[in-house]
Amino acid sequence: MAALWGAFIGVVISVGASAALFWGTHRLFALVERRWAIVAAVSGAIVGAAAGALLSGIRSGPESEPLLAGSQLVWILGGAAVGGLAGTVAGLRWPLSAARIGAVQSRLRALTFVGPAMLFVALGLIIPLLRTIYLSLFDKRGTDFRGLANYGEIFTNAQSLDLSGWSGIFGSQLFYGAVVLFALMAAIALYRGRRRGVRADFSPGTVGIGLGAGLLLSFAVFASLRGTVMNNLWWVVAVTFLSTALGLLAAVIADRVKRESLAKSLIFLPMAISFVGAGIIWRFMYIARPPQKNQTGLLNALWVWFGTLRPSSGGAWAAVAVLAAVTVLLAGLCAFGVRRRQTAIAVGSATAAIPLLWLIYRFVGPGVGGSVAGPNDEPIAGTILFVQESPYNNVWLMVVLIWIQTGFAMVILSAAIKAVPADLIEAARVDGADERQVFFQVTLPTIVPTITVVMTAMIVLVMKVFDIVRVMTNGNFGTQVIANEMWQRSFTEFNLGLGSALAVVLFLGVVPVMGLNIRRMQRGE
Amino acid sequence: MSSTVTRSDGAAPGAPRPGGRARDPAGRGSDRLGAVIYRFLRSIPAWVLWLMVIIWSVPTGSLFLNSFRHRDDQRASGWWTSFTEGNWTLENYSDVLSSGQQTGGLWQALLNSFAIAIPATIIPIAIAALAAYAFAWIPFRGREWLFIGTVSLLALPNQVALLPLLQMFAGGAHWTIPGTETVLTLFPDFSLAGTATAVWLTHTAFALPFAIFLLHNYISTLPGELFEAARIDGADHFTIFWRIVVPLSVPALAAFAIFQFLWTWNDYLIALTMLGAAGENYPATIKIASMAGEFGLREHLLSAGAFVQAGVPMLVFFFLQRFFVRGLLAGSVKS
Repeated sequence: MAALWGAFIGVVISVGASAALFWGTHRLFALVERRWAIVAAVSGAIVGAAAGALLSGIRSGPESEPLLAGSQLVWILGGAAVGGLAGTVAGLRWPLSAARIGAVQSRLRALTFVGPAMLFVALGLIIPLLRTIYLSLFDKRGTDFRGLANYGEIFTNAQSLDLSGWSGIFGSQLFYGAVVLFALMAAIALYRGRRRGVRADFSPGTVGIGLGAGLLLSFAVFASLRGTVMNNLWWVVAVTFLSTALGLLAAVIADRVKRESLAKSLIFLPMAISFVGAGIIWRFMYIARPPQKNQTGLLNALWVWFGTLRPSSGGAWAAVAVLAAVTVLLAGLCAFGVRRRQTAIAVGSATAAIPLLWLIYRFVGPGVGGSVAGPNDEPIAGTILFVQESPYNNVWLMVVLIWIQTGFAMVILSAAIKAVPADLIEAARVDGADERQVFFQVTLPTIVPTITVVMTAMIVLVMKVFDIVRVMTNGNFGTQVIANEMWQRSFTEFNLGLGSALAVVLFLGVVPVMGLNIRRMQRGE
Repeated sequence: MSSTVTRSDGAAPGAPRPGGRARDPAGRGSDRLGAVIYRFLRSIPAWVLWLMVIIWSVPTGSLFLNSFRHRDDQRASGWWTSFTEGNWTLENYSDVLSSGQQTGGLWQALLNSFAIAIPATIIPIAIAALAAYAFAWIPFRGREWLFIGTVSLLALPNQVALLPLLQMFAGGAHWTIPGTETVLTLFPDFSLAGTATAVWLTHTAFALPFAIFLLHNYISTLPGELFEAARIDGADHFTIFWRIVVPLSVPALAAFAIFQFLWTWNDYLIALTMLGAAGENYPATIKIASMAGEFGLREHLLSAGAFVQAGVPMLVFFFLQRFFVRGLLAGSVKS
């Protein structure tokens, strides 16, 4: 309870002091007009006393004697007397004109309104920021100047930036997947372009394929180029892109289903949970227990259960039957699409059938999920170590943040979609546009600024990701990120120089976003 | 109906619709089948959404179920078996709240969380509302630049200020005037490190750019004629602020309050940094994070602990969701 009392007293003191300051200045301004000389005398005395206190308080070092000898009280009283005298003389000598009163008043008033906030911002943000930049140029104790050596250490250390695996990019399946998708995108765009008599025509679907290819490519790159800095970039790219995309998807669909608010609330709910709590929640999802024991984490339990569906056990045939039935339906749908000349249906259902065929092959052949064949072809559970296996454990940690941030993107984009002027959409409908055209040619262009805002907000947030990594791995298993590295260097090793340099690197990462925000605000005003 | 349905699924933009139908070789006979298929295809997005809803809810739901299961059950089997087994208990919750060697001591931590979150919510509101009003309605030189400069700090990562702030709370802030040996004290040493005060002071400073931005967005849209009329009646800025601006801005103030309360309640980084080893002042987030780190005796209490910590924001969320969403929107859509 003592803590709560402390909080209560803190609130009372702060709010009380603000109110007193307010009321005091309020009275003061009334007084300035009527009793200028007295006000001048009193304020002169205050300034003098403050100057006396300040001067007598200045020391030539933290431990040494004050610069001005003698009792501080004498200095303060002396300062007050001198200042008061000077104020009285000045007040009698130069009476205020009404215009000057007004000017002084309005400046002082603005100051009393803005002052407290500016004081907090200066003491809590600006000065610490400058000091961090200053400290980043010094050694770990903050005494010996090192120039940019701390930054050099960050970008040459293999722990934080390891580009030696670059050739692995070209060996990964993700890379080839990306290449295939890029080729597909180009082929579709060229084909559509030829049909319409232009060089290349990018439909929204084509652009979507390209974005997917870009994401795959980024995963291939980040899985091969390792280190703290690369992990951080991976987080920024993957979480920002996937959260925004999933949020947009949810917002668009929710706009046209029944029980919209229920669906949105449930997707939005993780926003109320702390990053620490979310980390714990997902740790329970990712638990991997020894193969001979029951799996208590949902994901590994499902994985192992799929593994038990082997041809020898019969379970696989049931799975194959279900999959085959769905495949046949998809084939029918594809034929329907071809006959109706609905390319989207034909291509979509054919594409959807590919993974099903692959799954059928896996069920009949090598098996699906976490199991390997034992000596007598009995399945032995094999679990996924979601948290430990590098580099993709990074992705499993990102899933936690995506799970949280999708709701954020959804809520904001949903509001933007609803704010699209109805007459705009109506006009497009009257012109004969269908649902898809309305979305891609009216709604989407209208909400692009909001998408930008969501993505910049997300970049700023993801850049400094800390809690999730600290709770789930504490940066072990190749999941270190800059913010956690910064915390460990600064507050467990007390390496002020390196810790500050890492913080400055984070700061430099958001500088472009800050610039963008400033430009947007300037345009807005 | 079928023509609109046909239109809405496919066909390149601008393609002649009636022609598309005339080309249909199946003719009228298959139109009923076509309608069924189209209806199915159109329901797919809704299925995708509800699948997403389920995927998004399962993690929280499974933790919730686990928090009511006995320690041995939690270790032996997954939460989904509890549907058939039953065997629920509230023991985890009572254990995690009470303080002791093998329990959580979360009750004290919850009080600490309140001790941080309440001042860290109220004080920034008071300070930021004043500044937002001045930025919106009191003309003074350099106002625009001061405002843009302040608000651009929104994107500043907290990390860049933590180390100097901790030093400041631990030993005051002193500045040696260059070229001389004189030291100027900017912030006296109140030995605040390790106290809740240090945490909410830090929160206050970090919250101000966003608070000013959000409240300014709202206050600047209030009708100016109102202020004009009040000024003619002889009211000054203080009166206008207190009698007109504050009552009219309640929705924005509430939105920010809820946003800031959730943010500070859920904060881990700032509390961890400022409190250091002062375990008796730890808020709930640090308590459950350290329980998660020890992999030992108390692991079965973790799910209950996580739920106790999340309980307050979830209540806030369910009852005040509208305000929370409004705060988010004001903070990002308008600008």
